Parts: sequence; C-alpha cells; structure tokens
Amino acid sequence: MSDEEHHFESKADAGASKTYPQQAGTIRKNGYIVIKARPCKVVEVSTSKTGKHGHAKCHFVAIDIFNGKKLEDIVPSSHNCDVPHVNRTDYQLIDISEDGFVSLLTENGSTKDDLRLPTDEPLLSQIKDGFADGKDLVVTVMSAMGEEQICAIKDIGPK
Amino acid sequence: MEDFAAGGGPPDLAQFQATMLAIERACNENQMCMNSAAAEATIVSLHQSPNPYLCCRFILENSQLANARFQAAGAIRDAAIREWGTLSDEDKKGLIFFCICFVMKHATATDGYVQNKVSSVAAQLMKRGWLDFTKSEKESVFSEVKNAIIGMHGANAQFAGINFLESVVTEFSPSTSSAMGLPAEFHEKCGSSFEQDYLQKFYCWAQDAALGVTNRIVECRETLAEDRVCSAALCLMFQILNWDFKCAGDPLDTSNNRINHEIAMLRKFEFVLVQPGRLWHDVLISSGHITWLLGLYDTMRAKCSVDVIWFDSPLAVSARQLIVQLCSLTGAIFSSDNGQTQEKHLLQILSAVLKWMDPPAAVIAAVRSGRPDSEILDGCHAFLSMATLTSTLLFDNLLRPIRSYGTLQFLSALTCEIIQAHGVGNNEEDTWCSDALDILLETWNVLLRRTDIEKNVLSREGSEAIVILFNTIVESHLKAAVNSAFDELADSEHFHASIAVRDERLASYALIARKVASVTIPFLIRLFSERFSTLCQGKGVTDPTCILEELYWLLLISGHILTDSWEGETMMVPDELQTSFVDIDDVAQHPVVVLSWSVIKFAEQSLDPDMRTNFFSPRLMEAMVWFLSRWISTYLMPTKTSKSYSSTLIGRTVDHSKNLLLTFAGEDNEGRSLLDIFVRISLVVFTSYPGEIELLSLTCQHMLPALVRRKNVCIHLVTLDSWRSLSNAFVNERILFSLPSRLQRSLAESLVGSVSALKETEASNQYVRDLMGPIATYLVDMCTKDSVKTFAQQPDILFMVCCFLERLRGAARATESRTQKAIFDVAVSAMDPILTLLEVYKDQSAVVYIILKFIVDFVDAQVVFLTPKDMATLVNFCMKLLQIYSSHNIGKISLSMSTSLLNEAKAEKYKDLRALLQLLTHLCTKDMVDFSVASEEECVNIAEVVFLGLHIVTPLVSMDLLKYPKLCKNYFELLSHLLEVYPEKVAQLNADAFKYIVLTIDFGIHQQDSDVVDMCLRAVAALSSHHYRERSRGQEGLGAYAVSSYGPEGTLQEGFLSHFLRLLLHLILFEDFSMELAGSAADALLPLVLCEQDLYQRLVQELIERLPNPSLKPRLAFALQSLTSSNQLSASLDRVNRQRFRKNLSKLLVDVSGFLRVK
Repeated sequence: MSDEEHHFESKADAGASKTYPQQAGTIRKNGYIVIKARPCKVVEVSTSKTGKHGHAKCHFVAIDIFNGKKLEDIVPSSHNCDVPHVNRTDYQLIDISEDGFVSLLTENGSTKDDLRLPTDEPLLSQIKDGFADGKDLVVTVMSAMGEEQICAIKDIGPK
Repeated sequence: MEDFAAGGGPPDLAQFQATMLAIERACNENQMCMNSAAAEATIVSLHQSPNPYLCCRFILENSQLANARFQAAGAIRDAAIREWGTLSDEDKKGLIFFCICFVMKHATATDGYVQNKVSSVAAQLMKRGWLDFTKSEKESVFSEVKNAIIGMHGANAQFAGINFLESVVTEFSPSTSSAMGLPAEFHEKCGSSFEQDYLQKFYCWAQDAALGVTNRIVECRETLAEDRVCSAALCLMFQILNWDFKCAGDPLDTSNNRINHEIAMLRKFEFVLVQPGRLWHDVLISSGHITWLLGLYDTMRAKCSVDVIWFDSPLAVSARQLIVQLCSLTGAIFSSDNGQTQEKHLLQILSAVLKWMDPPAAVIAAVRSGRPDSEILDGCHAFLSMATLTSTLLFDNLLRPIRSYGTLQFLSALTCEIIQAHGVGNNEEDTWCSDALDILLETWNVLLRRTDIEKNVLSREGSEAIVILFNTIVESHLKAAVNSAFDELADSEHFHASIAVRDERLASYALIARKVASVTIPFLIRLFSERFSTLCQGKGVTDPTCILEELYWLLLISGHILTDSWEGETMMVPDELQTSFVDIDDVAQHPVVVLSWSVIKFAEQSLDPDMRTNFFSPRLMEAMVWFLSRWISTYLMPTKTSKSYSSTLIGRTVDHSKNLLLTFAGEDNEGRSLLDIFVRISLVVFTSYPGEIELLSLTCQHMLPALVRRKNVCIHLVTLDSWRSLSNAFVNERILFSLPSRLQRSLAESLVGSVSALKETEASNQYVRDLMGPIATYLVDMCTKDSVKTFAQQPDILFMVCCFLERLRGAARATESRTQKAIFDVAVSAMDPILTLLEVYKDQSAVVYIILKFIVDFVDAQVVFLTPKDMATLVNFCMKLLQIYSSHNIGKISLSMSTSLLNEAKAEKYKDLRALLQLLTHLCTKDMVDFSVASEEECVNIAEVVFLGLHIVTPLVSMDLLKYPKLCKNYFELLSHLLEVYPEKVAQLNADAFKYIVLTIDFGIHQQDSDVVDMCLRAVAALSSHHYRERSRGQEGLGAYAVSSYGPEGTLQEGFLSHFLRLLLHLILFEDFSMELAGSAADALLPLVLCEQDLYQRLVQELIERLPNPSLKPRLAFALQSLTSSNQLSASLDRVNRQRFRKNLSKLLVDVSGFLRVK
C-alpha cells in the first residue's frame, strides 16, 4: 500500500468535492453513481461487449435517490464513472412547523431549520403521525450533490 | 343404479335451482375477473358444504354453463373424499355409476374438460374405495365400461369409455395420482393390485377398440368419431406402457451382454424403459400387435401424407408415440433366447422408423420447407431408445440385414445433415434442429460413453463415420464463427445459462472426437497452427477478428477434448486419450502433448505487449484462461494415482503411453516453467485488462484456484518470483484495488491458500502477515482519526474499505491449521476498527453486509481451532457486533418516494439478518466440536451466548421478514436446534423472550413449507419432553412458563403446554394437515398429552360434543380413545412408546380426519 493512501486528512475536508471517480467495472448493484448529473442508486448492472472481440461495457439501471426516477447509462467498464458523496446525518426531531419545515436538533446542540418535509403524502404522514403520537423520533437526513432529504425515521423510545 | 340419496330428506328443487344460479353467476364473474374474491368464496362454499351430491347432480344435469358443471363435479369429488367414511356402500357405488353414466350419456358434448373432470372424479372415487370393494363390485363397474369400449353403444360412448380408463390409469399410477389425505402406502397398494388385475385387460380392450375401427381408417372411410376413438385408444396404450411396472418380478436375463439395462440416459428426455415382464409377452410380442401397429402407421402415411397437416394429426402423433415407446421395451417380456427375439423386435421397429428419416438430406429439406418436424423428432427418440438398450456393436449391426451400411454410418449422416441445417438456419424459429441435435448427441453419448467397449469394437466404417461427423462439426462451427464474428455480444441475464448449454454440447462433441482421437487431435493441431500463422502474417494488414473468433472456438473444443469438466474431486486425464496412442513413443510426437504445447505457446504470446494489443482480445483471453484452468487441473504436475496399472500383455505399452501424458508437464519436466508462465499471464490479465469482468472472474475464480488446489503444485508456486510479484502487487499496486470486490475475495483466498504448502508454520504465518497486516494497519489508522466520521463517507475511502473487508473475508475462508494463527491475529487487531466501521457506516448497507459476511465466514473457518481464551475474545466481539447492529436498526423505518428503493432496503435488511442467523448457527457448532474438553473453567458458555444473540436478533426479525422462505428456514433451523440441544436454558429466559419464541413457533407451524413446520414441531417436542422428564424427576422443568396463570391485569396467560396442545389438536384434526408430518406431530403431541392429561381429556370431550352429526360421535370417541390406549401405550417417552404413538396417530388421522374437516 503506497503512502499516499494514508493521507485521509488531505481529503477530510473535501466535502466541497461532490463526486469521486471510480472504475465502472467495480460499481455494483446497490452502489451509487451519477447519471445525468443526478445522484442515483444502482439497481441493476449488466455487461456486454462492443462487438465480440471488443471491450466490455457496463449497462447501469439506477434510481435517483431523491426523486425516485429511473435512469440508465452505458459506460465502457474500464472508464471512470462519477460516484456521488452520499452522506447521512441523524438529528433529533424537535418540531414540525405549519409551513412544512422541520426543526432538527444537531449533535452540537444548535438547530437546523432549513429542511422541508417531504411532499409525498405517505412519507409525510409517517413522520407527522409519529410526531403527533409523541414519540421521540430521530430522523436521518441524506445529502448528496448539494441536495438534502429525510430518508429514514427511527423511534428511539421514551427516555 | 343412479339412486343415491346420501343425506336423506326430499330433494328441494327450488333450493337446487338457487344454488345453481349462484354458482353460474360466480363462474361467470370469475372468468371476467370481476369481484373474484366473492365468486371464489361462493364456489369454495359449494365444495365444502356437507352432502352436496344431489345438488351437484342437479347442476350437472341442468346447467347450461360448462364451468358450473365443472365446479359441480369437483364439489362431488371433494365432498365424497372428505365424507367417505360416513357414506353408505350404496351411496359410494351410486356416485361412481352416476359419474360413469354421465360421461357415457354426454359423450357427444363439446366441452371436453367437463367430461374429463367427471371421468377423473369417477376414477378417484373408484380408487378411494378400491381396497374395500369386492372383486365383483369392481367387475360390475368395469364390465359396463368394457361394453362401451368394444363399441356396443356406438363410437362416442366408446371414446368416453377409453377416456374414463385413461383417468383410472392416471389415478392408480402412484406418480400421477391425486392426493386424498391418505398415506403413501394406500396409493401403492392400490397401484399394485390394479397392475395385477386390470392393467393388461385395459390394454387389450384398447387394442380391440382400435382394431375395430382401423379397417375403416385404412380405407379412409372413417368418421370423425372413429378417428377420435382410434387415437384415444393408442394414447391409452401409450399411457399404460408408461406405467412403472412393479409386478414384473422376473429376474433379468443378464447373460446377454449385447442388451443393456441401464436407463439413466433416457430420463433426460422423459422416456423410461418399458419392462412389463413375462406376462405381457402374449399381448405385445407374439400376437403380432407390433406388426399391426407399424402397418397401420405405414398405410396411413402412404395415403395421407400428401397433406402435411396429417403429420401432426392426433392419430399420427399417438401412433408414433406408441411406436417410440415400444422401442424401449425390454426385460423379461422377451424369452431368454440370448436376445434374439428382442433384436428381431428392434429391427422390425428400426426398419419402420427408418422410412421417416431416410434419406436424411431429403427429409430435412422437406421439413425446412414446411413439413411438421414431429416425425423426425420421434425418429431421433427411437434411435436414442435403441442405443440405450443395445451394445454399440449390436446397434451398429442392426441395420446391416436391410442396408449395405451399419447404423452408425446412418446416424452419422443424419447428424451431419442436422448440424449443417442448424448452422444454416441459426435463427430462433428452427428450434427443431436444435432439439433433434440434442437428442442425437445424447444418442452418441450413450453409444460412445460406455466404458465396456474396447476400441476395436468399432468397425472401420464406424470409425470413419465418426471422423466424418467430427469434421462436419468443426467445419460448420468454424463457418458459423466467421459469420458471427462481428455480431454484437448482447450479454443478457441468459448469458451464463447459454454458456452452460454451449458447454454441454461441446462436451458431447468432445466425446465423439476422443473416440477417434488419433485422427481428430492431429486435425485440430493442423487447424490451430494454420490459424495462428495466418494471424501472424496478416499482422497490421488485415482485420484479425474472424480468425480470433475461429481460434476462440478451437480453444473451447480443444479444452473439452483434452480435459473433463470441473466437477469431480480430482481431474483425470480422460481414459480414451490414455489408451488411444499406444504406439507413440516419443513425447514430442504425442498428439495430446503437441496440441497442449501449441495452445500454451500461443498463450505465452499474450505476455508480449505488442502481440497483446494486436490480437489478444478480452474474449480470446477468456477462452485462453478457461482452457488453461482446466488444463492445469488435469495435466500440470499430476499426482501419481495409486491405481495399479494393468498387467496384460499390451499393458506395458499402454502404461508407457499413459506415463507420457502424466509426466510431460510434471515436476521433473516442464512443470515449473509452465507454472511461471501461467502466473505471469494472470498478472497480465490484472494489469492489462481492467474492467473486463468476465475475464477477471475466470482468472480469479478458476485459474488461480486451479493453481493452488494441489499441495505439490503450491510447493513450487511459492518459490517463484512471479508469484512473489503477484503477492506484492496485491498488497501495493493500485490497479489490483480496482478489481470488483468479490474478486478481491477470491484473489485473497488463493494467495493465502498457496502457503499451505510451506514447510515451516512460521514462514506461512509470516506470509499471511505480510499480505494482510497492512490492511489491519490501514483500518486501525483510519479509525483512530477523529475525523473518521466525515471522510469515511467519501466514495473512494468507502471503496477501499469494502476492498479490504472482502480481502479479509477471502483470507478467512482460506484458513487452514497452518495459517490459522496469523489470520486470527490479523482479524483480532482489526476487531475494534470493524466495530467502529459498523458504527460509521451504519447507513451504508453494502459495507454493513460485507462486515457481517466477513464475520460469518471468519467464525465458520476459525471456530474449530480456537482455544477457550481466543473463543472468549471472539464471542465477546460477536456480541458487541450484534448489539451495535441491533441498536442501529431497531424501530427504523426507511422513507423513500421510490418503491423499488424501498424494496431494495427491505431486501438488504433481509440479507443482513440471514447473515446474523448464520453467525449464531456457526457459533453453535463450537459446542459440537468441543464435546470432549467442555469441562475447562474458562470455557465460554456457548448456549448462553447464542441465546443472548438470539435475544438481540429476534426483535429485528419481524413477522413480515419471516415470510421470506430462506430467512424463515434459517431462523427455525437455529431455533429448533437451540431448543432441542439446550431446552434447560429456555426456562431461564425472561418472559418477553420466551413469549417471542412461542409466538414465532406458532407462526412457523402455520407455514406452508413442510420443513419449517417439521422444525417447529421438533422444537415443541423437545421443550415439552424436557418438561415432562424434569417433572417426573421432581424438578421444575419449564416452571412458570409451562402452566397457565393469571397475569397482573387479571388476564389469563396461557401456558406453553396447554397452548400447543390445543393448537396441535386443532391442526391435525381440522386443518389441511399433510400426512408426511404425522410422525413429528406425534412426537410433539405425546409429551404434551402426558403433561396435560386433564386438559387433554377436557378437549376430547369438547371435540366430541361439538360434532354436528350425532351419529358420528361414538366413532370419534372410539378413535380418540384408541389414540391413547391401544398398542399398549405407556406413560413414558422412550423410543418404543413414541413409535407406538406414531402408529396410533396415523391410524386416527386416516379414520377420522376426513369427516372432521367438514365445515
């Protein structure tokens, strides 16, 4: 292992860089990929060749992690694809405001109030109902390529 | 005769009319898919209603709607089978006669499926009562039918009669019978009694029916009905010959070695050998039956085949079917005259079948221009049957009396034509070509694979025919290769399936080639070197693609000829190759050696960068690596087999030739330098073909494992510089990190596996530390950084972590006693980082899964070696892991707009849980291994650990997840294992945990999967037996959990025992309970009954009182009484007593379960 790979720090603050290159052949089902400038999760990979004696290419079917739309792409398998930096952060849910925003408690004690509730009715009701029942909810916020969305809730039970 | 009044009471016509209308409406709605749940319910209620016979009869006779009549017939069947025990003898017979008369009366009806259903109902009822009816009762039914069949009531009734007999044969044949809730023994008894008394009679009746109408058919004066009768009769005869004859009983005449009795080959195409025994001789052989049949088909063919549709007409199809079936007639039916009658029989059929396919070219041309393919396919099947029955020599000679050539020559010509037609057509519509080719290749397989034939058995013409066949195969495939060289290679999901099909065919070709290896291998050598030199000459001038594709195919066929397939422990040099070249003395001249060298020389060219970029396409490399993997396992430094060589006269020359093959790539000769080439080729694959997944997989999963499979090869391998550079590249080179992660795993496995050959343990451990140590260091470094949470999510770091974990997993899988210590140490040093990673990557399901799988494999591989102290470390780690996993996932709900992403998330959870359950199961095995040393002080108590683990995991296993069959199985396997081995621990569980276990068993018992039900029953049996035994010794047993008590809020908490006693009784008596589980149900029920005598008596009373029909009460009471009292049942749980109880229970089920299930 060469030394350069030990320098985690050099990239530690590289949150600005939204995507990273990765060889198409190594991207698997359930991995992430950028297609048409959208962060996606791969749901299907198949390979084929350009002519029998040509090189392999990968065919990806992926789903946009934010809006659920299906996207496809074909890339030569030795080329690099962009892989999005997908981050997830847990916050405690403090409040749901009338105008569709949530108020979240961060780890260091401040609040984060710029996140909208999902507009999709079933998702919305899962959060609202849980909150209305007085449960202690932790929400997981997924962020990638400058976008954010609540992707999971967890009932941590009465303390 | 048609009077059956079961149930009594005057028929209420208005009521019937109403029911009929309701059923008709439901059938219509069902067909239109409207309101289908309600419609379904209406129909089910008819099926389940008590005594529906008169009403059903009313519907059958009056409804205009075929579907309603169909349902009514089905309802009669269901009700009668259920209520059989309570029907009077008259009613039973009445129902059967009613059904038979119904089909006779309505023989002209157009809705065949209703007629078939009614026939089959009659047949099933006949069978249900078979063992109780007297001989004369059966006779009276069948004589009616016989009268119809011989034509006393006209052609339509004749057809209906034959149809009924078909249903009867179907029902009585154990493999096709319908379930009746009775033990398998019943079906077998009926089957054999039927075979003895009626099967042959039926055959003769069918024969008579057919004979009766053939004259008119031959003269082309037949009516449609007569045509139908004839084909139905032929079908019935075919069906009867398909019977699995048991009564034949006569010893086989094995004195004649020209006739074979193996049947394995035919199975593939769903054909069986027909061995009806001596009793059938008169009917089938000496009566001229076959001559008549062949004559019939011939005459019809001559007259009717002008119209090509005739070939697919029911009559032609059924006649051919019967002829092909008669081909496989064998056994004691032929008198023991050294096989002469049978040979005559085969020749007779062969000469008839030959007309279907001779001359091959003309016949195939006819099929290609529109004649149906069915006749030629049937002909191929006939050849396969004959080949199966005869020795190769006899097969070849069969044709000689009527032709100037042998059968092999004809078969070869036919196969060549088919192959050419297959090559020309090559489109999806020509599937018949492919089917015919499959059958013919199977025929060749049968003929050539026989180990008993010596080479000289083949006549000169026979060998020549095979050579011609192989040449045709090669030419046609090379042509196809050139034609398809520029095709797009669409790699769909069927890719691997199509490769399997291709390989199967190539293996058949290889078998053909090996038979005449002295001609075919030199032929291949020539082709190969021609292509190779053309390739080099045209360098830079011409497009090499076509030649590459030809070489690709040549590599595949050469691989198949030189080596056998992967399966099998040790790959051996194929026998034919060992014995084919006895006269060759010089190793450099041996064709097998020459062919091997030319391929390897060619492969070596890929090491030259210039050659590589010009010629070695990924696809060609795939074939090359595939070839090399197989070749390595077969020829590279083979271990001397202990098989003593033959001591015959020619034995010595044979031995010499064999020896050449075993040593030319041996340790003393070229072995080492070859090994070096192969390792360098694999390095080239890794460095020069990035992203070529198929090629990389072949290299990692086939070639490298082949290299490290044998110790004697590894000894040389680890000393090679090239192997060292591969290991170094593995640790240091970036390019190797870009392998897909599953390949990282196999690569690590091969590398670690190679050191098992090192002499000193220390050296092997050092090697492992060098390979894996840096990984642990990296992970430790990474996890000690404060910012790990932030940077860990970067895709590049994430990817590296996955790589490393896969590598660790690969190393764990390669654990052997010599490397165990080092692998354990590396893993221990990575344990803390792994727990951190599990925390950090809790939302990266891929990483979580890899971590879990690593631990699963690690525990599985290591557990047998570990000392108590190491085991404690491991167990400690596993528990922390489980807790962390559980804390992240309990109560978590994923939200996503996309249902497919949500499903993915669920599937991931499911896979994780399976891994966790596997982990616990693997931990359990420690106790099995360590039986002897279990007494040590510091020993970890595995049972407690696993129960604790289960306690952590079970809340995550939701009832929804248990609906996944695999997870369900894993879970109940673990659970039943735990409850059986450690019942005493269960009593110590807390109330919630115990309740959860009861809940899941409850759930499991109601599953469809009988394995799961069985495991749950075993779990219940284990717990209740444990309780009973403990109590008889004055101990607590399950203590508070066993008995019912009042909970804090005054609600009744039902005890374990009474809960399951109730549940089991209900299950076996009232629900659709499969007889095959009766044994385990008995084992569970006995201890429950013994523990809870009082409750049991109360339940029995309740059962009897609730019975709606008072006349049945004494019967049920008696049956339940005998369950616990007959057979000298005592109050113990020993084996004898359990066996008695099993018998009692299955008797009870047969006696009463039918009428209890009436709703």
